[in-house]
Amino acid sequence: MPFMEGTITIVQESRFQMTDDRGASHLFSLSPHAAADPSQLAPLAAQQSRIRVKFREGDNIIGAIAQSISVMTGGEAR
Amino acid sequence: MNQIVSSSPSVPAAVSRFSDYDGSTYYDRPQLKPAPFENLVVGGYIFFAGLSGSSALLAAIATAVGGDDMAGIARRGRYLALAAPVLGSPLLIYDLHTPARFYNMLRVAKATSPMSIGTWILMGFSATAMPAAALQLASDAGVARPWVLRVAQALGLPAALLGAGLSTYTAALLSATSAPVWAAAPRALAVRFGSSSLASAASTLALGEPNPDARAKLAIIQAAALVTEAVADGVAQRAYRQSGIQQAFDSPVGKAERLLTTGLGVALPLGLLALALFAPRQRRALSAMAAVATIAGSAAMRVTMMGVGDVSAETPDISFRYSTPENLARLVT
Amino acid sequence: MSFHPRVQDHTQSTFDHVIADESELTAGCKIEPGKSYGFFTDTTVCIGCKACEVACKEWNNLPADNLGLTGQSFDNTGALSANTWRHVAFVERSGCGGVRDMGEVPFQSAWLMMSDVCKHCHNAPCLEACPTGALFRTEFDTVVVQQDICNGCGYCVPACPFGVIDVSTNDGKAHKCTLCYDRLKGGLEPACSKSCPTDSIQFGELGDLQQRAAERVDTLHGLGVTSAYLYGTPDAPGSTGGLGHLGAFFLLTERPEVYNLPVAPTRPADRVAPSLMTGLLTMAGLALAATAVLSRRT
Repeated sequence: MPFMEGTITIVQESRFQMTDDRGASHLFSLSPHAAADPSQLAPLAAQQSRIRVKFREGDNIIGAIAQSISVMTGGEAR
Repeated sequence: MNQIVSSSPSVPAAVSRFSDYDGSTYYDRPQLKPAPFENLVVGGYIFFAGLSGSSALLAAIATAVGGDDMAGIARRGRYLALAAPVLGSPLLIYDLHTPARFYNMLRVAKATSPMSIGTWILMGFSATAMPAAALQLASDAGVARPWVLRVAQALGLPAALLGAGLSTYTAALLSATSAPVWAAAPRALAVRFGSSSLASAASTLALGEPNPDARAKLAIIQAAALVTEAVADGVAQRAYRQSGIQQAFDSPVGKAERLLTTGLGVALPLGLLALALFAPRQRRALSAMAAVATIAGSAAMRVTMMGVGDVSAETPDISFRYSTPENLARLVT
Repeated sequence: MSFHPRVQDHTQSTFDHVIADESELTAGCKIEPGKSYGFFTDTTVCIGCKACEVACKEWNNLPADNLGLTGQSFDNTGALSANTWRHVAFVERSGCGGVRDMGEVPFQSAWLMMSDVCKHCHNAPCLEACPTGALFRTEFDTVVVQQDICNGCGYCVPACPFGVIDVSTNDGKAHKCTLCYDRLKGGLEPACSKSCPTDSIQFGELGDLQQRAAERVDTLHGLGVTSAYLYGTPDAPGSTGGLGHLGAFFLLTERPEVYNLPVAPTRPADRVAPSLMTGLLTMAGLALAATAVLSRRT
């Protein structure tokens, strides 16, 4: 599954924008089958946590569906 | 039932001046959104709910009536009542778009939402019908004392009452929407769903009934329910014509609904049962065929009615014809 | 043109903070819990710029959807959906019966443009249908889906008589316009009305808006646009069948169907009791018949 890393910069409901290392922003919706709950997104944005999002392309939208979100800690994060 | 008041003072002039729909649409785009249900899944649930609820009802009646030839109906009815909790509930959860949150259905009880009412009916039914079936099983296996069966019989009473609700609330669920075909005949649709549920339960019980007398009685119940369904179907069709949405039944799924519901589900079994009266030697085979046709027709009715509702929502000509001031004045059929 | 006196306090175009009660400056009304707020959309001044659509998508972080062209005038948005909460409809009308009208009636053009949105009905069918209580009425008298509760059952979708609310197949929840609930709580007017360059979309207290709309209809009638009428105010088309008034209402100049709006929608919840009672009576009748049949001695 493709993945992307960065920090969450905007959160609305289950939708979030993630900005990658090049400064490009990407729009995601959280899959209903993801372990993460939409309520966990705002704290991730507030803390500017570096995350890795595994995703698939969305249906009929310009945006991707986040299948899983993992927080990068210590050694993993650059 | 089913009267039209030609001019109602309750419709304001600002609204009634838009009577006589002229056929305008917005690029023929749908005005309504069809329900995001999987028709096979939700239609299947509605069928199992009806079969299950009506089986519990027949089991309770057989228990109350008593007698040796009724014991089989009561016993099998209690088992058949498991259809909604065991087969129906997983279908409902499967159809959610966020299935992991199915328990949120239990947060509230709302009289304006038939889906909420139905959730609680299904919960209550499961809580009574499942232990009743379990106790019946224990009794059948000979591992329980005689009073266990009496507890099963007592649980059968609330199960029967909730089963009556389970057999028909699904019609209210469809009617309390804006999809024209579901909304246009709430009362007639409820009679159709209820009678079809009872017909399918009587048919299924008849298929498993070895006693010819009990089987004959179940066939009479089946026939009575089918006649009720046919009458309600006529009333519903008249309501669709009067509210100008009959063309929904010209669609492929609408034609299938007509063919499978009235043809396979009502006319064929009634004909077979009538034939069985005059052919005593073929009676068992004919009534078995009638039972299978009834069950198939009952299941097909729920699935195809879901589809016809979707067609009526997606076709702007139908939905605009339904939401005209003329139909505001119409009494609920 | 008159400005609110508080405008003088904010002469810079960039701010490091949110202006308190900004809606007072931009929409002329203070946003306070307990009052009813809504939209008045005057289609006669809509220029079809779609700023409302863009502002909505930007604020709510909604993805672009329905990619491609529809071939239906300038409307490539198509319809309201889980990802589109404002939709500008375009109807090309040039004169009568397709013949170019050489004497245009005195308002902008023969084009009809309308920015459609959730109506935030007084008796909202989606809210009444919701079996989880995810849909609720806010302190601003608007209707919002609580995303942490919705389980995507989809029952609100066929309940809506305007075809507004939709379940997203991407995140499995129901979505629709929230009338910018988050902005209202912060004293900001909704993104769409704030961005509307012609004030076709006006945000405000519902009573004020209805009065303003009635005055606008009178003005248009005076100018010779006799076809102007309101949709969604009490006793008007759209507010029929027990729905009550609509929180977002419109000024139209053609039949409602031309804009994809129903003339006389009804409140689905009114059909619950007749259907349930008839169903239970049917079962009672059939149960009596079954009792009579089963108790016959053979």
